Amino acid sequence: MTDCLSALFSLLIFPGFAFLLLCALAFQWIDRLVVARLQGRVGPPWYQPLADLIKLLAKEDVLPTEAHELACAALPMVSLAAVLTAALYIPVGKHSAPSFEGDLIVVLFLLSIPALAYFLAGWLSGSVFSVVGGNRSLLQYFSYEVPFLMALSGPAILSGSWSIAQITAQQSHAPWIVLVQPLGFFLALTGLIGKLKRSPFDIPKAKSEIGAGPLTEFSGRKLALWQLSLHIKTAVGIFLLVDVFLGGASIGLPAPAILVFGIKALLVLLVLSLVDVLYARLRIDQLVNLGWRVLAPLALVQVLVVILIGVG
Amino acid sequence: MSRITIPIGPQHPALKEPLSLLLTAEGERIVESTLRIGYAHRGLERIFQNRNYVQNIHIVERVCGICSHVHTTAYCQGVEALLGLQVPPRALYLRTLLCELERIHSHLLWLGVLAEHIGFTTVFMYTWRDREIVLDIMEELSGGRVAHAVNAIGGVRIDIDSEHIDSILARLDDLERQIDTFLGVVLHEHTFQVRTHAIGRLTAEQARRYCVVGPVARASGIDVDLRRDEPYAVYDQLDFRVIVAHEGDVWARTMVRTMESVESLQMCRQLLRNLPDGPLAVRAPRHVPAGEVISRCEAPRGELVYYIRSDGSDRPARVKVRTPTLPSLAALAEQLQDINTADVPAVLAGVDLCIACADR
Repeated sequence: MTDCLSALFSLLIFPGFAFLLLCALAFQWIDRLVVARLQGRVGPPWYQPLADLIKLLAKEDVLPTEAHELACAALPMVSLAAVLTAALYIPVGKHSAPSFEGDLIVVLFLLSIPALAYFLAGWLSGSVFSVVGGNRSLLQYFSYEVPFLMALSGPAILSGSWSIAQITAQQSHAPWIVLVQPLGFFLALTGLIGKLKRSPFDIPKAKSEIGAGPLTEFSGRKLALWQLSLHIKTAVGIFLLVDVFLGGASIGLPAPAILVFGIKALLVLLVLSLVDVLYARLRIDQLVNLGWRVLAPLALVQVLVVILIGVG
Repeated sequence: MSRITIPIGPQHPALKEPLSLLLTAEGERIVESTLRIGYAHRGLERIFQNRNYVQNIHIVERVCGICSHVHTTAYCQGVEALLGLQVPPRALYLRTLLCELERIHSHLLWLGVLAEHIGFTTVFMYTWRDREIVLDIMEELSGGRVAHAVNAIGGVRIDIDSEHIDSILARLDDLERQIDTFLGVVLHEHTFQVRTHAIGRLTAEQARRYCVVGPVARASGIDVDLRRDEPYAVYDQLDFRVIVAHEGDVWARTMVRTMESVESLQMCRQLLRNLPDGPLAVRAPRHVPAGEVISRCEAPRGELVYYIRSDGSDRPARVKVRTPTLPSLAALAEQLQDINTADVPAVLAGVDLCIACADR
């Protein structure tokens, strides 16, 4: 009975749905505030992300007649379900996630489902802008995913384990992997920016070019779910990087685990916000060039270095 | 590869004013574009014929929402020529001051729009924030941020004291520092350059064929500027450079406009420091003699032409406006040919269209 209750608790409250929702909203607020302050604006009050979510949930839900209704209703849920499931295997603070050998790969797979759902949403929602955005999102997926996967395989090879919890645990008595593989961390961060479609890789939803990209025709509840899944993905992606590269909750000092973990996550978020402010949006062909000519070879070098020196 | 038709406008996030572009794209490459204009047509030229010369100043001011002052300057200049009026120098200085402030405000606004179109929100926020410095100065001078109602036939309706001059000069220094920052972004920021280099290119020959004017022409290597070539108001007494670039792409236009803003700033300083004493306006005669006149000004977007014909009554028989946006619209198809769909907003922003002016 207690087992069942604690499982439910971890699924629904911490580190499950409620906690992730809270993180998603908090991260969104911090991100918006930091970006606003850097751009000389005031920024939103703390409850703005929640207010936006509630507003969207309450709004009328319309779709064009050309859109595939079932798919358009299912895809945001698929996307949200995938990121929530991925979050299960990512240790947050001291909380030990249900881990098994190879869960890193499962998480990476689950985190790429939203990208495919996003593409399909563009393709099936019956608008020119969303089709163009969908095509772009797929091209973008092929550009960032390979360097991202290779960058994350570096720590796994070094630790000799494909379990996130194992990789994190090993860093409590060894230097953080970011110190050993700074290049890998950089690539993973770049890949994450591509995954989250943040500036300068906000190509599929470039609003001055193609409206809102694949989500152009979405409104109301469906749009709310899309946005929620994106924001939870932001939190999950950041947690993943903190676990794999920044040693999770370990710091070598007696401090509350969740606090240390939270500070590290906020630092990563801050980097994302800074990048958001600093650059203009790239064009899709420029991103593909960057992905395959620069990021992928660099990732290959990083993996080779790990295999030749780190292990051998 | 299958062709898709992408509609840009009449309402679109990349457009600040209504304009309709139908783009046919193969993948991400534009193969054909069709332009439709006229959504902002208000029949202003007809309205001019139904109002008397003084009432028309008010209407002329509303042709454009950005360069309103240069329109009244061109109009008043024309009517003054018909009347044979000698406008006092202090009035001309103040007129020119407003013209140059307006140019800075227009160019900063434009830089922000371009930045937003290429996804560089930070530059957009900064330019529009710093544009407020100019808008504040203009508001203090005239009472209006956009419509200034400064020009009158025979002079101006505002005055300025020495204390105010000092305060404006101090704020212009702040503004210059900010514009230098933007110049740094244009010159050194890599992502800005890859999004603006080699797109929307017009060669000097093409620019000449389409009669393109203003910064777009100057960015294509055509050295034209009415302020130097045929000085009106007090431009013959000012010391300034005409900025010319040769690449002809969006980046060159950015360079030209940003550096022009610095030149305008210098001109504002000269105008404020050398402001002569004297009356602000002369009294205009009650009747405009029959005749016709062409009045030209260098608006922020290039040469602005007013043709005014008088039949001796209190209303003009014809007022024809030729705005700098018109040739730019004609040259648009050439620039949109064979580019990436992602570059369309940047190209559109690059020519700095003013649809309200062009449609009237």
